[in-house]
Amino acid sequence: MNKTLPIILHLDIPKHVDEIYSFTKTVLATIMEYKELDLAQQRRVKMIMVELVTNSIKHSTDENSSIKLAIDHPSVCIEKFEKGLKIEFSSTAQQIPFEEIDKTIKISFSEENNHHIQTLDRYKFKFLNPFVEGLSLDQIPEHFGFYIITLASDSFVYQYDPEMKENRYIVNLNL
Amino acid sequence: MKISKQQSGDIGVIIIEEKEANLSNSDEFKELILEEITSGTRKLIISFKQVEYLDSSFLGALVAILKALLPYNGKLILTDMNDDIVNLFQLTRLDKIFILHNDLENAVKEF
Repeated sequence: MNKTLPIILHLDIPKHVDEIYSFTKTVLATIMEYKELDLAQQRRVKMIMVELVTNSIKHSTDENSSIKLAIDHPSVCIEKFEKGLKIEFSSTAQQIPFEEIDKTIKISFSEENNHHIQTLDRYKFKFLNPFVEGLSLDQIPEHFGFYIITLASDSFVYQYDPEMKENRYIVNLNL
Repeated sequence: MKISKQQSGDIGVIIIEEKEANLSNSDEFKELILEEITSGTRKLIISFKQVEYLDSSFLGALVAILKALLPYNGKLILTDMNDDIVNLFQLTRLDKIFILHNDLENAVKEF
């Protein structure tokens, strides 16, 4: 545990669902070479990795999606990079690029996939805690990926780079 | 998707015979269980004894199954989940929506 921090690692995202869990465990083992993590912290890392990679396999057409892992003290930053079109919301007045900055708005990706976000700049937003309005079976979604990442992390930010046509998912954990 | 089915009176017991409950099998699992509901099963137990991890896709499938049981006043109990999976339910607060039990025997008694 005396290795010098920060450590930056670049990892290719697996292409097949069957590889997700082993990839996740490998990433966790790598982080634990540099930081001691308790069980709860290990679970947070595993949940985030599973959902980030699952999201790519499910939605991205970029064969070269990658993850940058920045291990520091006390933070670990997991950034996922994907080339392609920016995220588009359905049933919402605002789209990226946002007109209003530092605003909390409700967005949805589908009828059962709603989120509250805070706009950080025209191409960047932060996912907010999804449970401020409570939870009932009628309203709970059937898409949990971004919820899980939001809840398991200390911050979860999406950013689009229009020049590079690149989506960035930035997850920070204080471990 | 490997599952095994048992019947305990009018309770249908589904045992997932996979280590991974994820994107690769969530849709198939949902359809299998929805067929069970369509064919008349109203009391369901799903055992995760052999499942090592569960992802958001499978969580979504379970929500869809629970929603499908609602109009029939059906009941769904989830059992034998490891600590990682229970933690996922707690994190998403789905432990307040689903009935979770430690083992099959106690789950059967719940009906």
